[in-house]
Amino acid sequence: MKIGVQTQNIVDDTNPSAGFQTLSDIGFSCADFSLNSYLKNTSIYASDLNNFFSQPVSALEHFFAPHKLTATKAGITVNQMHMPYPIYVPKGCSRINEYLQKEVAPKSMEICHYFDCPFIVVHGLKLAYYLGTEQAEWEQTEQFIDTIAPMAKEMNITICIENLYDSVAGHLVEGPCCDAHKAVERIDRINEKYHAEVLGFCFDTGHANLAGIDFEQFITTLGYRLKVLHIHDNDGIDDLHQIPFTFTRTRENKSSTDWDGFIQGLRNIHFDRTLSFETAPVLNAFPGQLKQDALSLILKIGKYFSGAVCMGEGI
Amino acid sequence: MNIICTPAGIVGRENPRQGVMDIAAAGFGDILLDLSLYCTCTELENIGKENLNKEKDSLLKISEHPEKMHEIIQPLLAQCKKNGIAMSVAYAPYLMRNTKHINTHEIMTQLSEKSIHTAAQSGCKYIVIRPLFAGIPEKDLWEVNREYYLKLADMAKENDIVILLENQCKDKNGHLIRGVCSNAQEVAAWVDALNKETGDERFGFCLDVGVCSICGQNMYDFILTIGDRLKAVILRDGDGSHESALLPFTCAAQGRSQTDWLNLVRGLRETFFDGQLILNIKDTATAFSPILRPGLLTMAKTVADYFKWQIGMEQVLREYPSRVLFGAGNMCRNYMKCYGEKYPPRYTCDNNRALWGEDFCGLEVRNPECLKDLDKDCAVIICNVYYKEIEAQLRQMNIENPIEYFNDEYMPSFYFDRIKRDAWNGGEG
Repeated sequence: MKIGVQTQNIVDDTNPSAGFQTLSDIGFSCADFSLNSYLKNTSIYASDLNNFFSQPVSALEHFFAPHKLTATKAGITVNQMHMPYPIYVPKGCSRINEYLQKEVAPKSMEICHYFDCPFIVVHGLKLAYYLGTEQAEWEQTEQFIDTIAPMAKEMNITICIENLYDSVAGHLVEGPCCDAHKAVERIDRINEKYHAEVLGFCFDTGHANLAGIDFEQFITTLGYRLKVLHIHDNDGIDDLHQIPFTFTRTRENKSSTDWDGFIQGLRNIHFDRTLSFETAPVLNAFPGQLKQDALSLILKIGKYFSGAVCMGEGI
Repeated sequence: MNIICTPAGIVGRENPRQGVMDIAAAGFGDILLDLSLYCTCTELENIGKENLNKEKDSLLKISEHPEKMHEIIQPLLAQCKKNGIAMSVAYAPYLMRNTKHINTHEIMTQLSEKSIHTAAQSGCKYIVIRPLFAGIPEKDLWEVNREYYLKLADMAKENDIVILLENQCKDKNGHLIRGVCSNAQEVAAWVDALNKETGDERFGFCLDVGVCSICGQNMYDFILTIGDRLKAVILRDGDGSHESALLPFTCAAQGRSQTDWLNLVRGLRETFFDGQLILNIKDTATAFSPILRPGLLTMAKTVADYFKWQIGMEQVLREYPSRVLFGAGNMCRNYMKCYGEKYPPRYTCDNNRALWGEDFCGLEVRNPECLKDLDKDCAVIICNVYYKEIEAQLRQMNIENPIEYFNDEYMPSFYFDRIKRDAWNGGEG
């Protein structure tokens, strides 16, 4: 299986070549392109939008040309990217929400296509508090997906919905797309509607861990609809995006995240896509001198997972 | 809806007198027969281990003498009888979530059988018996539990008591994640299959809010899936990470409760839940000085009553053949958004004379004097937080119609905005 990591905190716009070469030197073959870092969620929630996505597509392509070129040169495949999120702000003004859905989303699709990237991860809308039910919330997400699904079909891109969390006074609980059975029904129905695989799933281990979700059951239920992964770890309390196996909750010091269930789930569905780590914050946590070592460790963990999933090793 | 107080942290095992008196004085009329207080999970965990504190630990071990279960609860029963406290629900002994035992089927079956017998003799209609989990592979959970519960079903039938399964979390090296019976679809299937095999409604479900919260689950979806299989709900607060039983609304951060009460109320209200509402405040009560406990229990009863009111809000609306509203502000607007179609009011009224004759959310705003012309059985639903003042105003006007308080803190859905007028102006117009 291929192993990838986020470009955020590694690939710099001023010299993308160095970042991609670093990834390649360490041994990664894939990258999760952090398109969301060009319009951060904190800025969106603060109504502090930049004009990055206001540029015409040609200008955006021009901007990303060095990234595309140097990734290819370094032998790194951009296998997945992350659309900026949220794509709807519940109490935001219509100007912001229109910009997010009518400018940012379609242009993200264009950039994804430009990179020949087959998967783009989107966040479902968080509206259950206002609308009352997860179903009503999903209907809004589906309406949004309908706005970009024709592009996805034409560009041969699969939009991937991701299991998210919500917050109840800082207590992180299940959010959109945390029911695998519902996800399966929705993905199948939408793909049938478009006669193409426009929708798939991105399983986020950290978010699932926060909501106490059974990894094996969830992944097994998704089956082939699982296209991409966000692999990272946390303490079950906060969304920390750290290296797997680093959290324990008892003096026995065994991992408090169900990595065995993760491996077994991937094995059950014969997952053979990219093991992608969403661990950009790790690179802020370690001192600069240890950055490459941290990335090497992530790669080794990826290889361990790969071996365990493919050959039944590890558990 | 029957409100029940758990005795944990309040009632002493050896001397239950003061605790039961405090519970009764706070206004509770029902107490949970918590048999796990007499046969604790620590006791069960220590089965087979040499007890080095024999002299210190002189309490009778029910795990060694299950036949003494009924005898050991006699002081509690006597105090409850003396104070007019009923016992509608029992809770059977259970294992620690991180138990090291792997073969406990026999002892748990024995204890559960004794618990059923003891509960029935104490007047309970329901008993919560947690599913077996220790040492059972995931794929065998249903078969093992099916056998376990069906074995208990005969005794439950003989004793005319209903067994309630309960949602569990499991311990993953200290991190509590979703465990047995935490998947609502699976629970519904289990309960239905068990009832089908027993040929009657011998099984139901008890929802532990604390477990749902730890597992970050959406309780609205859970409750709607369980439907009328839900017979009891255990209310307890916590931080969503550690297993605790706090008084609801006390585990707060950022000025808000860390338990998702909104989705709980949404679900229970929509399904017209009318079962057993069990308040578990073990940790809060234990932390309080016994001197302060009577005051705490009074507050706890108020909190339980508040939940009963919130959950039963829609039930109240549908009980009346017709209704009018009092108030033309946000609460009225929210009523019309969520219930206006189902339970249409004839009109609303308001003390603000500037609004009279206007249309508000499809309702005519009238002078409160119009209420004097209402049919006898038409209810006045107060949509303003100045409930008591408005009720007093109406009674002073000699309006004898039923008066109910509406509230929009926990609504099926919300507007994205609020309008700016809501103050009660004391009937001054």
